[in-house]
Amino acid sequence: MKRILQMMQKEFRQIFRDRPMMGIIFIVPLVQLLILAFAITTDVKHIKMSVVDFDKSAISREIINAFSQTERFDIKDFTQDLHRIDNDMRSWKTQIALVIPAGFSKDMQRGAKPQIHISADGVDGNTAGIALGYAQAILVKYGLENNSPDVSLTRRISLHIVNMVERMWYNLELDSQQFMVPGIVVVLLTIIPMMLSAMSLVKEKEIGTLEQLMVTPLRKHQLLLGKIIPFLILSYLELAIVMTVAILLFNIAMNGSYLLLASLSFLYLITTIGLGIFISTFTHTQQQAMFVAWFFMVFMIIMSGFFIPIDNMPGSLQAFTYLNPMRFFMAIIRDIFQKGSGLSYLSRDSAMMTFYGIIIITLAVFKFRKRVS
Amino acid sequence: MKVALEIIEFKKVYGTYPAVNGVSFSVEEGELFGLIGPDGAGKTTLIRALCTLLKPTSGSLIVSGMDSNTDILAIRNILGYMPQRFSLYQDLSVEQNLQFFADLFKVPAIHRTERLNRLYQFSRLESFKKRLAGELSGGMKQKLALSCALIHTPAILILDEPTYGVDPLSRQEFWEILKSIQQEGATILVSTAYMEEAELCDRVALMYNGKIIEINPPEKIKAEYPYPLYRCEGRDMQKLRNFFKNLEGIRQTQLFGNALHVSFSEKPSPGDWQKWQKQSGGDLKNWIDHEPSMEDVFLYLINQEIKDE
Repeated sequence: MKRILQMMQKEFRQIFRDRPMMGIIFIVPLVQLLILAFAITTDVKHIKMSVVDFDKSAISREIINAFSQTERFDIKDFTQDLHRIDNDMRSWKTQIALVIPAGFSKDMQRGAKPQIHISADGVDGNTAGIALGYAQAILVKYGLENNSPDVSLTRRISLHIVNMVERMWYNLELDSQQFMVPGIVVVLLTIIPMMLSAMSLVKEKEIGTLEQLMVTPLRKHQLLLGKIIPFLILSYLELAIVMTVAILLFNIAMNGSYLLLASLSFLYLITTIGLGIFISTFTHTQQQAMFVAWFFMVFMIIMSGFFIPIDNMPGSLQAFTYLNPMRFFMAIIRDIFQKGSGLSYLSRDSAMMTFYGIIIITLAVFKFRKRVS
Repeated sequence: MKVALEIIEFKKVYGTYPAVNGVSFSVEEGELFGLIGPDGAGKTTLIRALCTLLKPTSGSLIVSGMDSNTDILAIRNILGYMPQRFSLYQDLSVEQNLQFFADLFKVPAIHRTERLNRLYQFSRLESFKKRLAGELSGGMKQKLALSCALIHTPAILILDEPTYGVDPLSRQEFWEILKSIQQEGATILVSTAYMEEAELCDRVALMYNGKIIEINPPEKIKAEYPYPLYRCEGRDMQKLRNFFKNLEGIRQTQLFGNALHVSFSEKPSPGDWQKWQKQSGGDLKNWIDHEPSMEDVFLYLINQEIKDE
């Protein structure tokens, strides 16, 4: 026990003496949080819109007005030429086109099914989908307010909608930061502990101090615990700082239990620190370790549902995400933050995460040898 | 005399390449034992195996009666090891490094101050104890590494080319320290590439190509040199060497700084030297018969070995 404390003391001395390392641990995550939180957003605003009004009636003008009043859409162009819309869309001048056919208002007054045509630029599928959703919402709202019970819309892919009133749960305003910032917390708890532990062990290997440690009576578990515990402490410090910023600066709602968050974080940190140790067992220089860690990181982040929803992935790829411990922690953290879920709702994800944690740390400890060959 | 280190038919093979190919010898307690040989001879492999860092492919290594394969932890407790490269924490101070290793070896607090003081005394590092290890000079780094290896007063000290790349003055100082440690009863195994250091050892093992080709006290090794040896000087040493190489009855020519060592099958007469001086264009001077140094013998033995293969 005493030796573990002595290892820890040495470890902390080295970390605090290493100014660039201190920067990486405490400044970089904050910068990442600030930049990523603003940059990674799925909110769609100011969609460029072209309007073709063949009807030229009071009703058509009212509909166009409804579109121009929201900040979601910016009407860039009024035209009578359908070809022009094609060209504008190709040259990125417009993203969505609203076409009101001649006779629209007459059909509406007669009680026949009036039709409106909307084209959206599908190159950026996400934006297009969201823009179409907004457009539908505006039209439905207009139809309801004007006592027209049945407003059908036709797009290139025809779609019938029923009158639907949506209400978002947990994140009423669909504020993407509420969703992304907890995700960034997970990313940081992945990168920092993995990098720290891999780098620190490989550095000792590179300098030769690991060999020097090996010839002392220091036991393997003492050596590893002396490394793991300081990184755990630092990671928790990190978590505290990032969460403070998230809650105070971004007004992220933290609806769940802090204790639950801290204890599940422990399981995840064991996994990421274990990965770092594992990487250090088969790399020989800090550079190699950096590249391998980078590879793991990119795979884990992309396959975690951080910004690409797992449900949007092809089935085979979805199955693949079950190999990724980060996937489970991502779900856990978002649930705790947004829904305030308790352990009973998180048991499946937690069990999977623990399972990987045990496998990884066992593998790392097993592969980490106190002999050179 | 009791045996401190016993190496029995030790073999270490990397892939198909035998780094050490069947080596047996023993080191007695209290002995200062030198391991010499060119780079790649297998010295470091042997040393690391003795320190329980490598597993032998075959054969066994007995350290103070304990097998390096099974009593790893017990061996590590009585062993001091100083690797070839400086491998202490460069970002910790001299004192922090020493304290850290004292911690790892569980040096009791009551002995610690006294021991640190003694180590500071011989290493003269006390005035630098707050300095970071990475900011020390080469010689001081070696002394710090040695101090860390000695912190637990090991019964056996193993050093791998400890003075490599260190200036001659620091080297001399370093060896004086080694001698005083030996006088206190420690067994020391040291590898070196410097022949004048080999002469300071009680016994020397000559390693070449993964094998030991000679083990003896330095004087005895030097006495084995079979040919009359002369030392001579001149302005153009390289030309002079080529001149001798082309003569009949020459055994070995070797440059030593500003002198040339030449050995002959038969002892040449003063008349021969006069003749050679004329033949070499008057460049040859100061010839005198010379006692062979370790290096002469070393090169001779290695050449013999190459011929035998």
